[in-house]
Amino acid sequence: MHYISLAVETIFINNIVLAYFLGMCSFLACSKKVETATGLGLAVICVLGLTAPFNWAVHNFFLREGALAWTGVSALAELDLSFLNLICFIAVIASTVQLVEMILDRFFPRLYTSLGIFLPLITVNCSILGGSLFMVERTYTFPETLVYGFSAGTGFALAIISLSAVRKKIRYSRIPAGLQGLGMTMILTGLMSMAFMAFAGIDL
Amino acid sequence: MKFLLNHLHKHKGLFMPGGKLAWLYPLYEAQESFLFTPPDTTQSAPHVRDGVDLKRVMITVIIALIPVVLFTFYNTGRQFNIVNQIPDATALDHWTQGLAIVMPVILVSYIVGGLIEVLFAIIRKHEINEGFLVTGLLFPISLPPTIPLWQVALGVAFGVIIGKEIFGGTGFNVLNPALVGRGFLFFSFPTRFSGDVYNVVLDIDNVIDGYTGATPLTLAASVPQGESVIEALTEAGFTWSTMFLGLMGGSMAETSALASLVGGVILLVTGVGAWRIMAGGVIGLTVAVTSMNLLPADSFIPFTQLPIYYHLVMGTFVWSIIFMATDPVSSAATLRGKWIYGILIGVMVAVIRVANPAFTGGVLLSILFGNVMAPMIDHFVLKAHIRKRQVYIQSRNSRYAKS
Repeated sequence: MHYISLAVETIFINNIVLAYFLGMCSFLACSKKVETATGLGLAVICVLGLTAPFNWAVHNFFLREGALAWTGVSALAELDLSFLNLICFIAVIASTVQLVEMILDRFFPRLYTSLGIFLPLITVNCSILGGSLFMVERTYTFPETLVYGFSAGTGFALAIISLSAVRKKIRYSRIPAGLQGLGMTMILTGLMSMAFMAFAGIDL
Repeated sequence: MKFLLNHLHKHKGLFMPGGKLAWLYPLYEAQESFLFTPPDTTQSAPHVRDGVDLKRVMITVIIALIPVVLFTFYNTGRQFNIVNQIPDATALDHWTQGLAIVMPVILVSYIVGGLIEVLFAIIRKHEINEGFLVTGLLFPISLPPTIPLWQVALGVAFGVIIGKEIFGGTGFNVLNPALVGRGFLFFSFPTRFSGDVYNVVLDIDNVIDGYTGATPLTLAASVPQGESVIEALTEAGFTWSTMFLGLMGGSMAETSALASLVGGVILLVTGVGAWRIMAGGVIGLTVAVTSMNLLPADSFIPFTQLPIYYHLVMGTFVWSIIFMATDPVSSAATLRGKWIYGILIGVMVAVIRVANPAFTGGVLLSILFGNVMAPMIDHFVLKAHIRKRQVYIQSRNSRYAKS
């Protein structure tokens, strides 16, 4: 029950795009077509779901204060390496993405071609790093991190797919010249997060 | 009428391209198409020969709204007279009092919104659309009667500009402009939309002692563990029939399920309102509430145990699902999509009501959320349909090839 409510909370209430405005660059840039958005959404689910648990392990077994106690060396046990969090997380994310790419290319070539450029692109997507940092800040346990990673990715996918469908619809609209393209998309993002505010405050 | 038409046509040259007042053409066009049928014909195929146009659809919605508005006048005045302890007020007094409270709100909405619409029509050279007649009426009566007039103006301006005009006017928008304005006001001035504000108190000294302002939904959400919600509601004066008839406080149009149903019947008979959306909404709410009823009573708040027939008449559900959710522009366009859209709204209403302590009446926000999701629903419904047809055609072709 706890995990279900965490998942619902992450997808709708604390939606990583529409509540925290993370991952905006790819959210705005890759939402022109529904197919592209679906691909990117799937890639984000995949990568967030993998990197958050990996980073959890890195954080809890190497970097956290006292994390190295398992070595049995007292000098190491006192170390607090959490200042290395950021750089290690980025390294983990980048290498995970490379790994995922190779695995997909070898075993699921169809999925690999449909994700195309988005897989390497989301290495630098801030929602991925954001997911890992939230995991540290909220001190999630391992199963919680697993659920959190997948549902944060799902939240991103939901937001970007619905935005792309809306953008497909407004292709026929008479938008003022100055607002065409990104300007309108930003206004739409604002209106969408207003609609998502319906969930704000839900206490599960 | 002939005189009017002649008069219009005599001055038509002024507004046509090359005329002195050509920049005011949208104003001329609005008058002509409001009073008469515009003489324009289509230049090339397809030629749709149908008497139903945007004007007639929108006027039908306005007609369907008349029972609601008339009831709003009566009920708002009645609430005012009760709260301000005016004992010997007759039904007529209620009406006139309600008229004095509600009419300025509607007028401000029409005037401010209308001016903005005209301004955009002139600058961006599109026609003034009848759609605004509906937006300009739906928006003000979705507000509580104590709303300050400047907030009405602000909300309608936001709704018309950001919700509609920057997309190019009626038919091009994604979200329902009345809901955008309502949502904007709701999040900007939250205290205006909760608790006591639903009671029209102008003279604070005369309020009856202990007159509580809680709406049925706030009340139901705050019933302590182990007590019955229905009893608590009845004790506060909200029986099922009061809520159905709507003789109580609340946002102006939302209180009476009965008046909304009359309008709903008009919309359904004329085919203007999509019955699939309304049915989907009711089904969604029913399923969600019934499954909540099955939750163990002692580990969740008593609100989860409230039966469906109470949920249906509470809050603004009936009014919104009939008038707000069925907006043909912002709702789902495919037939199957309409079902999904309606059910999504119904389920969300139940969830927000029961699980969200921040705002108990989340119907309008659920519909706004539904608006955002509608294009996605349409997209996937179309995709599924295309795939089904492809499979069918392939199987047919292979059948022909064999025989």
